Amino acid sequence: MRPVSTTVRYVRLTWQLSAVSVHRLTEYRMDFLLGAGGLLLRVVCQVAVIGMVFRQVPEIAGWHYDQVLFLLGFSLLPRGLDRMFTDQLWILARKLVQNGEFFRYLIRPVHPLFSLLSERFLYPDGFGELLTGAGLVWYAAGRLTLTADTTRLLVAPVLVLCGTLILASIKTLFASLAFWTTNSFPALYAANQLGDFSGYPLDLYHPSLRWLLTWLLPYAFTAYVPASYLLFGRARPLPWLFAVTAGLVALALAVWHRGVDRYEMTGS
Amino acid sequence: MIVAENLVKEFKVLERRPGLLGSLGTLFSREYRVVRAVAGVSFELPAGVKAAYIGANGAGKSTTIKMLTGIMRPTSGRCLVNGLEPYRERRRTAAGIGVVFGQRSQLWWDLPVPDSFRILRRIHEIPDPVYRRNMARYRQLLDLDALGSTPVRQLSLGQRMRAEVAASLLHDPAVVFLDEPTVGLDLVLKEAVRELVNQVNAELGTTVLLTSHDIGDITAICDQVLVVNHGEVVHQGTMHELLRTADTRAVVFEYRDGPTPEQAVALVEDRLDGASAGRIDGGRIKVEYPARRWSVRQVMGFLLEHFDLTDCVAPEPDLETVLRRIYARRAGTREVPV
Amino acid sequence: MTAATLRRYAPFAVGSLQSLLRYRSMFLINALTATTAVGVQVALWRAVYAGGGLPGGYDLPRLTTYVLLAQVLALFQSNRVDEEVAGEVQRGDIAVSLLRPVSYPLARFAAGLPVSLTNATLVAVPVVVLYALSLPLSAPSPEGVLLFGCSAVLSLVIGFGVNLLVGLAGFVTTNIWGVRVVKDSVVAFFAGQVVPLALMPGPLAAVARALPFQGMVDGPLRLLLGRYHGPLGAAAILGVQLAWAAALSGLAALAWRGAVRRVEVLGG
Repeated sequence: MRPVSTTVRYVRLTWQLSAVSVHRLTEYRMDFLLGAGGLLLRVVCQVAVIGMVFRQVPEIAGWHYDQVLFLLGFSLLPRGLDRMFTDQLWILARKLVQNGEFFRYLIRPVHPLFSLLSERFLYPDGFGELLTGAGLVWYAAGRLTLTADTTRLLVAPVLVLCGTLILASIKTLFASLAFWTTNSFPALYAANQLGDFSGYPLDLYHPSLRWLLTWLLPYAFTAYVPASYLLFGRARPLPWLFAVTAGLVALALAVWHRGVDRYEMTGS
Repeated sequence: MIVAENLVKEFKVLERRPGLLGSLGTLFSREYRVVRAVAGVSFELPAGVKAAYIGANGAGKSTTIKMLTGIMRPTSGRCLVNGLEPYRERRRTAAGIGVVFGQRSQLWWDLPVPDSFRILRRIHEIPDPVYRRNMARYRQLLDLDALGSTPVRQLSLGQRMRAEVAASLLHDPAVVFLDEPTVGLDLVLKEAVRELVNQVNAELGTTVLLTSHDIGDITAICDQVLVVNHGEVVHQGTMHELLRTADTRAVVFEYRDGPTPEQAVALVEDRLDGASAGRIDGGRIKVEYPARRWSVRQVMGFLLEHFDLTDCVAPEPDLETVLRRIYARRAGTREVPV
Repeated sequence: MTAATLRRYAPFAVGSLQSLLRYRSMFLINALTATTAVGVQVALWRAVYAGGGLPGGYDLPRLTTYVLLAQVLALFQSNRVDEEVAGEVQRGDIAVSLLRPVSYPLARFAAGLPVSLTNATLVAVPVVVLYALSLPLSAPSPEGVLLFGCSAVLSLVIGFGVNLLVGLAGFVTTNIWGVRVVKDSVVAFFAGQVVPLALMPGPLAAVARALPFQGMVDGPLRLLLGRYHGPLGAAAILGVQLAWAAALSGLAALAWRGAVRRVEVLGG
């Protein structure tokens, strides 16, 4: 009974707080357009590069143009969702520990991590990625005439959710380092930069980079692995995907809790 | 209700060596020094009191408040707020307390103030009537409507502080901790904040623990004072009791006929050993005398005997002077000149 | 520039040099990002060559050289000016700059120079050495190196102008992050940092050539790799760069004048 009512409470809170946050969309219309538009332009540039590559050759490393577009589009779905709900972690990494404002998450009667994230629920910049991602997936899937069988249709949202959880966990992990170093922005930024490369077929890359993106910073499971399954039916790594998601979420929460413990000890 | 039992908080501070070579040295070997910010604080505040937590800079006030609010964990000792140990049951404690930390904000940075309140209402699950009653109160006292739809990050310090105080009281907490709640406010708004706190205390029995550098806050709000120095509570009682610990008392009097003011001053200083006298405005004379050496009766007797008094008042000892003396005594240094 | 002017602006350069130590982590991240970006792009083009393409008449060593040095130029032009100016605008510190008896844009240029040079030496040199040892590159001719040197200096001015304008955009929007996303993707794209202009389809290449950004990467690298027709061709590339450098400096000066007027009216 207890876990159920707690979950219901947090889901309801997320909904209500997101509704309040929508105000931001109207308050800062110009900023919103810039953020979402900027991300849209970035995707357009990425698509242009892919287009130029495929002007030269019909396929690279076994992937066709539309398949690469599908992969790129899919990679944007978890990224957009993650950006819409966990953007406050950037602020934690940059200054909340340094200037002592982290205290406010400890004086609210909700989980401190939830309290932290809630300050930027529905952060508008993420819409740009989410919408372009959905558009690209739709377009590419249409041209590929993907057979939308029931299994894939059911699994796809779960894969997006897992990808979002992986991204959020990596972000939490690196942002939590701020509890020890007071400023973990550089580390978080570096980790985030590497994630930018996950929207391309990993078959292209040097094995060392592929290994890094699969096992060390498992961005592969946010785009490449799920897209390979949806496009080519490569289902073998899927169990790993779920294991990695679960493991990473557990690890991120553990590091977060150790960090908060440390904050309570030192107050800084 | 707040209870502290032998609360201790120690920090490890990295010992830094000066110069480039020194800072290179700290890369390889680190030496720590233990600093005792709070050294065994014990006190008990019954529900409904309005207490001031007073101490010089670095006396461990903020650290104690952080422990009482569950933001920090004590090195040893324990504390109870509303019967809960804050750092063990943080979320349950949080539901029953309100906090203002002067310069640091607890509002939603890029949302307008009303939105922050709407979110707090959800998080604390505040019933509708309570929310409406409190918002009406803030509107009337703090003029919150004037903040409009400006996001918090664009507010001035004074505008933000009003919202911070209101936010800390929104869910009718049983205990509210106010750390410098009137920083950056003008006189009118300071008054408003004080009135708000007093009103809430009178109507709901909210326990208040306040720290402030503004003596006006303390005298306007608090009925109890806790004086801490070097991490220990050195005085607990009512404000009146604290003021009575002053070792100098004063009397101001006015007289007619008789000696010139110069002669009167000389007479007082000559006959009352250890006292000092001086002329103040309006031809009145102020006498300050050591409370241990002379009783009120003796001083008054002396004045009645030698002067034809037309007016005589004994002002209360001034809080700042009393505090200064306490800090100085504890520090073992000579008295700080008044 | 007279000796007196040099003396007046030298303190800004020295001050910036002294604070460079604070950005140690930035250099590390730059190195990491540049290395990975080169690796990923080279992998991509290798796959194209493996598929039998010969994009834009570039052979693999030349294209590898282009991709590598494009990152070097990008590093050379990353001078933190956009971040620092935007930061000053948002904190309101910009008003203080009016009190100094120097030209703000020039002082910013002086402060950005050490960052550029440090990036170019501490970050770019190791990255180039790393790839020179592991990948076949094409050796440039001596006159190519000479022309590239002149062109790189001009590219520095263009890059500075762009960054200053991005920083001053802080007067117009609070979402400087969004502006920088646009800059980092769109400017990089049209500069030829990702794909040489010669590989772009006709209309896109025409747009890129009409914009100032091509002078940041594509121009200098065409000079280095000898992709021009005779001395006149080389002079044309440099001339266009020079014209854009002057135009952007003028634009930046105008934008600064506007900013000053705004500070005078609104107080920052």
